[in-house]
This record gives sequence, structure tokens and C-alpha cells, in this order.
Amino acid sequence: MSSYLNLSGVNKMFGDFQALDDVNLDIERGEFVTFLGPSGSGKTTTLMIIAGFEQATKGRITIDGKPLDGLKPYQRNIGIVFQNYALFPHKTAVENVYFPLQMRGVGRREGLEKANRMLELVGLKGFSERHPKELSGGQQQRVALARALVFEPSLLLLDEPLGALDKNLREQMQIEIKRIQKRLGVTTIFVTHDQTEAMSMSDRIVVFDKGRIEQVADPLELYHRPNTRFVAGFVGESNIMAGHVVDATAGLAECAVFGSCRYPADDRFSNGQAVNILIRPEHLKISRKAPESGEWATMTVDTIVNYGDNALVIGHSGDHPVRVRVLGADVVIIKEGEDCHISWRPEAVHIIAET
Amino acid sequence: MNRLMKAIGFVVVCFIAAPLVIVVPMSFSDARSLQFPPPGYWLGYYEAYFTDMSWLRPTWNSILIASATTVLTMILVVPATFALVRHKFYGKSVANVMMLMPMAVPHIVMAVGYYSYFGQMRLVHTHLGVILAHSCLSVPIAFLVLSANLKGFDRTLERAAQSLGASPMRTFIHVTLPILRPGLLISALFAFIQSFDETVVAIFISGRDAETLPRKMFDSIRQEADPVIAVISTLLFVVVLIGLLTPYLVKALRGRLRKTNAGSEAPPAALAPQE
Ligand SMILES: Nc1ncnc2c1ncn2[C@@H]1O[C@H](COP(=O)(O)OP(=O)(O)OP(=O)(O)O)[C@@H](O)[C@H]1O
Ligand SMILES: [Mg+2]
Repeated sequence: MSSYLNLSGVNKMFGDFQALDDVNLDIERGEFVTFLGPSGSGKTTTLMIIAGFEQATKGRITIDGKPLDGLKPYQRNIGIVFQNYALFPHKTAVENVYFPLQMRGVGRREGLEKANRMLELVGLKGFSERHPKELSGGQQQRVALARALVFEPSLLLLDEPLGALDKNLREQMQIEIKRIQKRLGVTTIFVTHDQTEAMSMSDRIVVFDKGRIEQVADPLELYHRPNTRFVAGFVGESNIMAGHVVDATAGLAECAVFGSCRYPADDRFSNGQAVNILIRPEHLKISRKAPESGEWATMTVDTIVNYGDNALVIGHSGDHPVRVRVLGADVVIIKEGEDCHISWRPEAVHIIAET
Repeated sequence: MNRLMKAIGFVVVCFIAAPLVIVVPMSFSDARSLQFPPPGYWLGYYEAYFTDMSWLRPTWNSILIASATTVLTMILVVPATFALVRHKFYGKSVANVMMLMPMAVPHIVMAVGYYSYFGQMRLVHTHLGVILAHSCLSVPIAFLVLSANLKGFDRTLERAAQSLGASPMRTFIHVTLPILRPGLLISALFAFIQSFDETVVAIFISGRDAETLPRKMFDSIRQEADPVIAVISTLLFVVVLIGLLTPYLVKALRGRLRKTNAGSEAPPAALAPQE
């Protein structure tokens, strides 16, 4: 069992403050992994420890079986794209990209040629002679990417590289980065606190909270089967209700809000166990009449937020807020302030152990 | 309101520029001593300046002393600034105050101090003595300029360089130093000007052998009010003017070059070996 990048038991203390708490992670060669988590959850700290700019208080890291301990940042052969790009202002785009080659003793002619090819790959043909301040944010981003890739690093780290870009450019760069990463096959860790970015780009997502890894899973798994209440709430929109298991073998739980809920039986739970019941807003169906079969509850509509193709209906059932996502065409059947029925299928119910 | 501001600005500029308006014409004057307005004009005092060793020697001394002061100041200030701006250590705030001390103490006090202290060390009336004293006065100025620059320096650039394979030494040479170059140059320039301009300490300790230009001018104005002083002042003014205008000229010239370059559309020019 050998993964390409391995972190085991990594701890980091800043004085008394524990920034990382027993981080264990395996990443395969060529994988695109995203670190997702709220501000201050330890994403950057983990990256900086891998890059060698911070020392782990405990734990070890290996790349391809070789431990990184004792290697200085400049000996690690890891490419990094920083949030503010960190391009050298006194060098042109192509000189920036040539820099890592220069440091590796590649001759100027050969190095500049290679740097130009890399700039071409990131879509910056014809911009090589410009200085960073003569480039737009997105273009600077591409130069930074080219610079971090040109020396064929064993690992590529990107710390919120798209944070400073506007929405359109951001989406464009997401696709670009993914394309280049696939083409070069470089193992990549991408940090973001934007969950849609994480969902759309990653092979796997690592969710951080308070210096701990909450869950590692592929995007769909993470969305549909979150391990913890935190992940369920952080990734996507959700209705989370506290309840307990009634019949573990049959797959039946109960909560105050929706009454009894059947769910796909799972042997991880036992009768009477306190759980959280998760139903995604798009899995709830609104109707005026009570459904004849299946499970349902009543809800009072408070607000309808229209997005054109779909709408978010925010209401409450008892004291509990409920969110329902409906298709744009269906929203005409309800009005704000009215009562209606919501129904769902057992497959849409996901049970999370209370911790 | 805006007009009033402009008027005030104009008056202030006139007030500041007034000495120039008087000094420059006086340098071309044919009067026997400083006199304004000049009775007539000639270039005789320029000739006098460029042929009289008693003026040229102090000029040379000043250039020599200011240059050496600049070098010594920068050797001291660059490492000190990096230490004080970037590192935490015990007694840092005290060290900070010490660096700025020479600026707070009146020059005359420093001068008396040097006179007696250097006297014991046989450094009075030597170039070395003046260089040491001037360096002491230049350090705080150079430090202030450089530390302001260093504080604004984005350290992720250094991290980036290291992640790209540059050791700390090469990071310093290839990234830190070039980016700080304008700050270093200005810092050095201030050190140079400080020394070149310094009079009080020079009067006390430069003596005959290491006599600086300001000291010679001071002596001269006291004794004979030789119009050569106006010549020197004018020359200094011209030198400073050139120094101030050079960056703008260079910029304008570069902009022009770039425009002509962009016109001829050079494809991957970087493929050709440069520099
Ligand atoms: N040098 C440091 N000294 C002290 N505390 C630090 C240091 N660097 C980070 N921390 C703390 O460690 C925690 C994790 O920080 P980190 O930068 O890894 O968060 P992050 O997940 O990258 O957050 P963000 O999304 O805001 O970038 C934070 O609480 C932060 O305050
Ligand atoms: Mg961060």
C-alpha cells in the first residue's frame, strides 16, 4: 500500500494553538485533490508544511516513498502558485518562467525556449516580453502556473489561486487549470474555500475543519454521503434534522420535524442511536395536495427566491426551517405564506451519526 | 479655495526658489565680491574655480569623503535594516532608537564629541576621521529610507523563488536585491548628499588636509566673500538638477523605444540571446 504523497500523523502547533491535529492523507500519482474548508481550518498550513516553509510539530510526509524531512523548500522540487501570484516584478513573463530552469542550471537559450513553450501551453503566446504589471489578473495567473510547472515538479500546490478573479474568469481558469493538469499529469493539490470550485475540479476533496480532516471523498460521494454534520452543512445546501434510529435493520429513523423517515438500511447504526437526518433541497418535492403514498410532511412557505431556471423555496415545518429547490416551471403552484406538502423518497435520505 | 491654494503654492515655490534666482546670476557677475544685482557679467569666476587648486582640492576631498561615506554607510545599514525589519530579537526597540540617535543629536554636539574623541585617536584632520563621522550621521537617513522600502517588500516573492529552486543566497541575489534596487540607490544617494552637504562637523575636524567643499566655502565667505562660491553653488544646483531629471528622461526614452518596438512586432524575441 504505497500512495504517491503520504502525510501521516501531521500536527502543527503555533505556540499553544493547534493549527493541525493528526492529519493523515494519501494522494495517488496524477490525482487532482482539493483542500476545502472554512477560513482558518489549516489548509494553507498543510500546504506550507508540504512545501517546507513550515515545520510540522509531529508527523511525517513522503513523496514517492521518500521522506521530505530535512529537505529545504528549494530542494523539494514542488511547484507552488500563490494567491497573489508572486510574480517577480523586475522580470518579464518569459524570464519569470525561465527562473526555475535558470536555478537548475539550464542554459539561457534552451531555457527561454522551454519557457516560451510553457507560456504557449497556458495560452499566453505573444505575451512573453511583458512585465507582470502589464498583464491582467488572469494572465498573471497563467504566468504563475507556467512558472510552477515548467520544471516538471513532483507536486503542484495551488493556494486559492482564483480568489482574486471575477466569476467569469474564474470559471474559465478552472477549466484551464484542469486541462493543463490532465495534460501534464502532475499530482496537484488545490486549496479553495469555494465548494462549487472544489466540486467541479477535483478527483477527490479533502474537507478541513479546525485543523482536522473531516472527510476525504470524491465530489459526488461527499455531496450525497457526507460523513459528518459539518461536511453535510458545508458542502451544498441541506436540510439537517436531529433525530434517532427506530429500526436499524429495516432502515427507519424518526425526527420531530418530518416524523418517521425510511432510509437505505445501513449496519453502521443501532436502534435508538441519535443521528442527523439529511435531505438535500432538490430531493424534496412540493405539492398542494397530500401525496397518496410515500412519506411527506407539511410546510409553510415564507420566501421564494427565483433564479429563473430554478427557485429556492424557504419555509418552515413546525419550528424547523426547510429549504426546497424546485424547477422554475413548478414554482407557479405555490405562493408565499401558503401551506403545502413536501414529499421525498427513501433513497434521498442520508443518515449521519451524531458525534 | 482652489485658487487660493494655488496662490499659496506659488508664493511658497517663489520663496524656496529665491536663493537660486540670486545665486545663479551672481556666479556670472564681474563684481569683486558677492553683490546683487551684479553690475556686469563675465565667466572669470568659473575660470577661477576650475584653475585654482585651493578650490579643486576641497572639491576632490568632498567627493572622496562622500563616496567613502556612502560605501561605509551602506555596508552598515543594509544588514542592520534587514535584521531590524525582518527579525525579532531581544533589545530590538533599543537598537532601533540607537540607529536613529545621530539624527536627533544636534550636529554641533556631535562635532564637539568627535573633536575631542578623535583627537585622542589621532583621527582629527584626516580623511578617515571625517568619513567615520559622516557615516555616523548618514546611517539614520539611509536606514529610514531603506527600512521603508523593505517593509513594503512582499516576502511571498522570496518564498516563490525558493519553491522554484533558489537557495536563500540566490534568492537574495536574483529577487530581493533587484527589487530593492531603487530603494538602495535612493538610500545611498541620501547618504552621499548628507556627507557632501555636511558643514558643522567638517569645520571642526576636517582641518587643512581633509578640507571639504562646504568648509572651504564657509571659510571663504567669512574672509573675502569670493564670488567663486556662487559658481560652486550654481554648479551643484546643475548637478542636482541633472540627477533629478535623469529618471524622467530615461523613462521617456524607454517609452519611446518600446513604442517603436511594438510597431515592428517582434515575435518571440526572447528566443534570441539577450544581454
Ligand atoms: N504563523 C502563524 N502563527 C500563528 N498562528 C498561525 C500562523 N499561521 C497560521 N496560523 C493559524 O493557524 C490556523 C490555520 O491557518 P491557515 O492559514 O492554515 O488557514 P486556512 O485554512 O488556509 O484559512 P484561509 O481559508 O483563511 O486561508 C489559523 O487559525 C491561523 O490563525
Ligand atoms: Mg489559506
